[in-house]
Amino acid sequence: MITIREFTKRFGAFAAVSDLTLEVERGSICGLLGPNGSGKTTTFKCLLGFARPTAGTMLIDGKPLEPATFERLSYVPERTALYGWMTVAEHIEMQRRSFARFDAARTQELLTLFKLEPGKRVKRLSKGQQTALAIVLAFSIRPDVLVLDEPASGLDPIFQRVVIDLMIDAAAGGATILFSSHQITQVERAADHVAILRGGRLVLDGVVDTLKSTEKIVEAIFDQSIPPIDGLAHDARVRRIERSGRILRAYVQTGSDDVARQLEALHPRSVSVLDLNLEDIFLGAVESEGPEARAFSPGDAK
Amino acid sequence: MPAVFTVDPRNGVPLYLQLIEQVKRAVALGALAAGEQLPTVKALALDLTINPNTVARVYRELERDGVIETSPGRGSFVRANGQAGAQRLADDVADRSLADAIREAKSLGLRRAEIEAAVARLLDRWYPSDAQEPNA
Repeated sequence: MITIREFTKRFGAFAAVSDLTLEVERGSICGLLGPNGSGKTTTFKCLLGFARPTAGTMLIDGKPLEPATFERLSYVPERTALYGWMTVAEHIEMQRRSFARFDAARTQELLTLFKLEPGKRVKRLSKGQQTALAIVLAFSIRPDVLVLDEPASGLDPIFQRVVIDLMIDAAAGGATILFSSHQITQVERAADHVAILRGGRLVLDGVVDTLKSTEKIVEAIFDQSIPPIDGLAHDARVRRIERSGRILRAYVQTGSDDVARQLEALHPRSVSVLDLNLEDIFLGAVESEGPEARAFSPGDAK
Repeated sequence: MPAVFTVDPRNGVPLYLQLIEQVKRAVALGALAAGEQLPTVKALALDLTINPNTVARVYRELERDGVIETSPGRGSFVRANGQAGAQRLADDVADRSLADAIREAKSLGLRRAEIEAAVARLLDRWYPSDAQEPNA
């Protein structure tokens, strides 16, 4: 289990991460999403002890980081930390010597899966092959905590799918997994839990399926012009309202049925509740201007 | 595994709902027979490349709905009367599809009489033997 509580990391006056609270349970895969510079890598570095949090608590299985934790934890950084002059086999050998949990048979399977040649030097591997080697090393110790920063970068779609399969397999075996990705489809498949950062702040956090159940667009099409909708514009459940001609779209966080009933009372031609996928939800969360901008100015409701 | 389920993670419908519907459909159609064993959570998660907790939730809800039963150590099986649980789904799906179609037609500006005529035409096509009944 990974526990992050009220975590803040400042570099001088700049707050890279502010007041982040996040928990990933055993057997769960949490996808951390956010634009570049939103604080994902900083969070990983502090979680793994490479940087010191300015404030807050970070625990793995309920305890602060201790040497024994590294025995069963794997981290794949955004830029793979491999030695160019060493071969694939030498990296594997180093892993075998360093970790009591190293699983030779599993490692062989993984090398075959990613078609990595043991005798090849790292500097002769493509970017994707280097990522693949980092993944092999990470899973070679059958870790029960995995922190993966962009684990599929540079991999082709087939190998990306292999990485997801490895994560699913590990989670089914009880591992705790926190990973970041720019590929929302990967998160949509692999993760049961998603956390979205923007400017170092957590803007959305929850079970992917629950978010899909509650985050909706309520669309009303009117025969003539859109009537005033003051009540809705100030409804805290409504993230934002878009108008285009006779069509009104309310992006709601929750309570779509109730919002639909409110709109029906205005006698539109039709009201529909539309589903949002994770990409829509993500874009909605990182593009919205925050709660202070959610309220509409009176002139807006025309 | 006898039935092949397909889910679309990019769809806005929650994955667990998609999968529940797929399994119930397979049971209602008889593609999954009473007593038949379902894959393990891990096997199905890997087969569909989706999160294992999502599959576990599907199995829990199917058990609650009386479609499957899980015995520890043995696995999950379609219940003898699982079809009753799955039949309700057929009604739900039919309801939802019809409601969607009518809403869409209405939003395109069709009047009630026009929608009724369109539905009658389609019913005649799919239930030809009933088509001759007067005022049906």
